[in-house]
Amino acid sequence: MNLLLGQILNGIATGMLYALMGLGLSLITGILNIPNFAHGALFAIGAYLLVTTVGLIGNFWLALLIAPLGVAALGLLIEYAGIRRLYAAGHDYQLLFTFGLALILSEGIIVVWGPVGFSHLPPPILRGGVDLGFTFYPKYRLFVMVVAGLLVLATWLFLEKTRYGAIMRAGIENKEMVSLLGIDIHRLFTAAFALGAYLAGIAGALTAPIRGINPNMGVDMLGIAFVVVALGGLGNLLGAIAAGLLIGVAQAVVAAYWTEASTAVIFAVMALVLLVRPQGMFGIR
Amino acid sequence: MKRREVLKIGAAAAGLGFPAIIRAQPKEIVILGIWPATGAFSDVGPILDRGMRMALEERDMKILGRPVRYIVRDSATQAGAATRRVEEAVDGEGAKFVIGPWSSGVALAVSEVAKRKKVFHYFSGGTEDISGARCHRYSFQWAASPYTAAKTVVDNFMKANPKARRWHLLVADYAFGWSVEKYIKEVGKTHGIEFVGADRHPLGEREFSNYVQKAAANRPDAVAMINFGLDAVSGAREIFNFGLTPKVPLIMTWSSGVEELVQLTPEIRENIWVGSNFYYTADTPVAKKFVAAYNAKFGNPPGYAPSAAYGMTRMMLHAFDKAKSSEVRDVIAALEGIEVEDLVGRMRVDAKTHQTLRPYFFMRCKPKAKMANPLDFAAIIATGDTPLPAEYAACKDLGGF
Repeated sequence: MNLLLGQILNGIATGMLYALMGLGLSLITGILNIPNFAHGALFAIGAYLLVTTVGLIGNFWLALLIAPLGVAALGLLIEYAGIRRLYAAGHDYQLLFTFGLALILSEGIIVVWGPVGFSHLPPPILRGGVDLGFTFYPKYRLFVMVVAGLLVLATWLFLEKTRYGAIMRAGIENKEMVSLLGIDIHRLFTAAFALGAYLAGIAGALTAPIRGINPNMGVDMLGIAFVVVALGGLGNLLGAIAAGLLIGVAQAVVAAYWTEASTAVIFAVMALVLLVRPQGMFGIR
Repeated sequence: MKRREVLKIGAAAAGLGFPAIIRAQPKEIVILGIWPATGAFSDVGPILDRGMRMALEERDMKILGRPVRYIVRDSATQAGAATRRVEEAVDGEGAKFVIGPWSSGVALAVSEVAKRKKVFHYFSGGTEDISGARCHRYSFQWAASPYTAAKTVVDNFMKANPKARRWHLLVADYAFGWSVEKYIKEVGKTHGIEFVGADRHPLGEREFSNYVQKAAANRPDAVAMINFGLDAVSGAREIFNFGLTPKVPLIMTWSSGVEELVQLTPEIRENIWVGSNFYYTADTPVAKKFVAAYNAKFGNPPGYAPSAAYGMTRMMLHAFDKAKSSEVRDVIAALEGIEVEDLVGRMRVDAKTHQTLRPYFFMRCKPKAKMANPLDFAAIIATGDTPLPAEYAACKDLGGF
């Protein structure tokens, strides 16, 4: 029983990171109507920027604030200088653009930071673990669970409860209608893309001390992020959060009893849900 | 002028007018390196290529006076892609000597191609099937037998930690993992080791927290990982994050050495014990020369991957020398039973199984305070070369050509 409780806790911690990735990807997918293949690379850049910033200023907490903002700025640039020019060109061009961008960013990581991966330790205060009674659990993972949870909540509240969030959701639903209301749709999309990139960046930064840093880390995470978006429903933000948690917990619980299937279960859950609800758990299209 | 006369003149001109050109371009020997440039282990492909190229360059890219054409194809760590590319290289490029790939599962598929196409094949990896159940005349195994590795690791670890009798295993779920796991358990029995858990994970696993939490729940005296590359790095990191190491010793049973250890911080490496087919402080003349040359060329010491590629190529070149022929059958016959002082010391190829009999290394990672430089990861504390006992040998008959 203790093992099961421990695995569920672990699943929630991992699921929060998946939700963070899924939420960002869902936001961008909602805008573009196509998957953003560069999302994994943005995740990896978040991790690399964190380590570089820690190296420069020697402060993890400040680096955790700065690194994702750097990724958001990169997202802003990508949308402003690239994707914006392709809105009229159709989905095929956008798809090719994000695919090409993913390759360029991945190779860029190797050029800047080298091909060999490395580890980065959490700050001293978050090293080691705590005895929760039913399991001994790393402090840093608990920290990640709380921070990721708060970020997911804050993003959801922003999108659901603020005027600008409502405009953003409206833009996802019907671009033309929002544009006709006199709202600068391009500025809105730039902001949404930057927010999606920020979420990928902070997910990467938070993940760095857990999974380490290597040029392929974005590819590893991108597959899961796509599953989360498809499972939750394309462009559905609440669905992305729920799907992230579901995948994380399913993976952890299956690992307790059948470790060989812990990766396969991600895709099995997706296949099962899509068989019953092809539009995803919360999707309407 | 009749057609026959034209041909005669042409033949005479070729014989008289261009003999120098004919002599200057003897038939080249095409050697294929099938290394992963994409997919799992893509990080290792380029350094495998380095090792193989260095061994050939030592001979000025010549074998028995004939030029070598070294070609490289991407195994992609996929059986389908690797076998197709090997076949294309054999049929289209005339490759008769194949070294690689880097994954046991893929290597078994390539081995079948070597058998069918009747080309020489050398591989280094953890599966015992190349020189075991699926042995045949054309394929050879360079890495130590999984039994030799398990015996070296378990015996020497227990010598240093006699009370650590409760082990939890984390095993990569493919041919290499299964082979080593089998012998770790066999040798473990002789030390009274209780295996409190043995979880298998897929190749390319990055989320190890679920496995580690399960391992921690078993309260083992030691955790032994039988995995490789980024899987091993991810596992070791998570075992540290969960607070198992350094309290509980971690054994990386079949490690690439430098390539894996460099990705871990000194804090994570504390109390890690490492088994490997090569470590750069190996005290042999060939290793010293190779390490110095590699260091000078690339600025860091070689790990198991480039060393294996280098070592396999050297063994193949020894066979060419012995055979004094570049015919596949002659080279194979020469390699069978060969005995040389080479990269890791005394090396002999078992003529009955095609297993290279050689030492396996066991190291202990150094604490940060004792590291002489940032790459001084570990100290070799033992080597072992116990061959696979006859009762375990699955290669009953190599068959003919």
